[in-house]
Amino acid sequence: MTQLAKLQADFQAYLLDDVKSSSFIKAMIDDNKVGAKKRLSIYHDAYRLRIIEALATAYPQLKALLGDVLFNKIAREYITAYPSTYRNLRWYGSEMREYLLTTLAQHPVAAEMADFESALSLAFDAEDVPELSLQELSAIPPENWDALSFKFQPAIKFVRTRWNTIPIWQALEVEEMPPKPAQESTYQSWLIWRKNFNSQFRLTTEMEVIALNMAVMGATFGEICANLEVEMDEEQAMATAAQYLAGWLENGLICKVTLIKFAS
Amino acid sequence: MRNNLPALGFGLGLRTEHYNAILDTKPQVDWFEALSENYMIPGGLPLNFLDRIRADYPVVMHGVSLSIGSTEPFDLTYLKDLKKLADRIQPAWISDHLCWTGIHGQNIHDLLPLPYTEETAKHVAERVKIVQDYLGRQILLENVSSYASYVDSNMSEWEFISLICEQADCLLLLDVNNIYVSSYNHQFDAKAFIDGIPQQRVQQIHLAGHQNNGDYIIDTHDAPIIDPVWELYGYAISKIGDVSTMIERDDNIPELDVLVQELQIARDLSANVLRAAA
Repeated sequence: MTQLAKLQADFQAYLLDDVKSSSFIKAMIDDNKVGAKKRLSIYHDAYRLRIIEALATAYPQLKALLGDVLFNKIAREYITAYPSTYRNLRWYGSEMREYLLTTLAQHPVAAEMADFESALSLAFDAEDVPELSLQELSAIPPENWDALSFKFQPAIKFVRTRWNTIPIWQALEVEEMPPKPAQESTYQSWLIWRKNFNSQFRLTTEMEVIALNMAVMGATFGEICANLEVEMDEEQAMATAAQYLAGWLENGLICKVTLIKFAS
Repeated sequence: MRNNLPALGFGLGLRTEHYNAILDTKPQVDWFEALSENYMIPGGLPLNFLDRIRADYPVVMHGVSLSIGSTEPFDLTYLKDLKKLADRIQPAWISDHLCWTGIHGQNIHDLLPLPYTEETAKHVAERVKIVQDYLGRQILLENVSSYASYVDSNMSEWEFISLICEQADCLLLLDVNNIYVSSYNHQFDAKAFIDGIPQQRVQQIHLAGHQNNGDYIIDTHDAPIIDPVWELYGYAISKIGDVSTMIERDDNIPELDVLVQELQIARDLSANVLRAAA
């Protein structure tokens, strides 16, 4: 290891260690003006302050939910558990859900809210793709619909909640008193996507989740209908699939449609 | 050597808070500096704003995570994405900081100082050459504000900068506020810094405000530029000549108009100094 490499390894170890260790101070010039210990502290403190601020920006309603004191404590511990490997602080904190699942297990809304806010943020930055219009889809003759496959915008993601996390988030977002945490009777699936450059979300049924996941994986409209027929008759299945498709189109989820040619 | 890059005039750092005001009012700003990492993303609103602002103004790219002084190999994904953004934006030039930002694949998200030694200068220069070859253009390195200095250093910061420029044939982004901050923190003569660097390589100047804590200054970019920094800017212009100049504001961000007015001070000061020298 070169002298420079050792210096950098020691400096970084000093910065990452939550406790300001004293051994590295010898590498720094100590003068009467400020003193090496204080000088190094500037970097040590700035590292934490900067990252706590970034986490607060990434998780605004999680912070509102937990309050400043608890949020800052969690953020400080998180920094030690997960040193940043990101070139942009905007992405730092993506393991917050996992972290909260264990550190705040008694408060499950926290992990769910972290998951939700992280998904909103990722959707905001996702790749730009064109949006398929109703006219483009209408131009396809009905007899070909069974063989249609769709390509979706990359921002799409599902967040699953067991608690009333999203109503709590919505209240905090408009600075209203949130409802008390309460467990829902079943898991709820929230679809997240981007429309007009803003992240969007809506509650979806489990049946639609399955249909959309199939469609994202490349299933044709006919295959989606066939899958729905497990739950309902053929006519109902077709109507339900058409209703889902209309919703996806209205939400701007679909970017391309392809006619799949099956080998005969 | 003087390069053949354009002189852009007087610019501002591009900030989210001003996107709409820029597009709606087309302010009298000659160019904008975009923070590279903020736009090295797959897509979405920030990139869309940057594309639209780029259609009306020259833009330069300014990075914070190149980590040119790191002893680790380059993050190739970073370089690839930087180049991809440059291909899209066609910046007048690309800059980053003369510092290191982390090793072991980690990012401290700070501009950490380097020891001023021949060994370090050689190491940095080799890496600058790699980046310049990859990007197919000269890059600008910016002097950072520092709060601590190494026992290992055996030359001045300006001697260190000069060595790197000479070996790598790169350009300089002279941050006049950083010179002031570091000269205050380490008690050196700020004018000696300007006298000591290869002035013909200065392609851009940064100006900013800071926070004076009494015995040391933190480079916060959250306040107007103070008079001693303006004075140092005038001195720099008297030595270097006409240089593309911009104001950085990263916190406590005022309305765009306020920064446009502050930029006028730079325009007037630069014009006065150049007139007096003519």
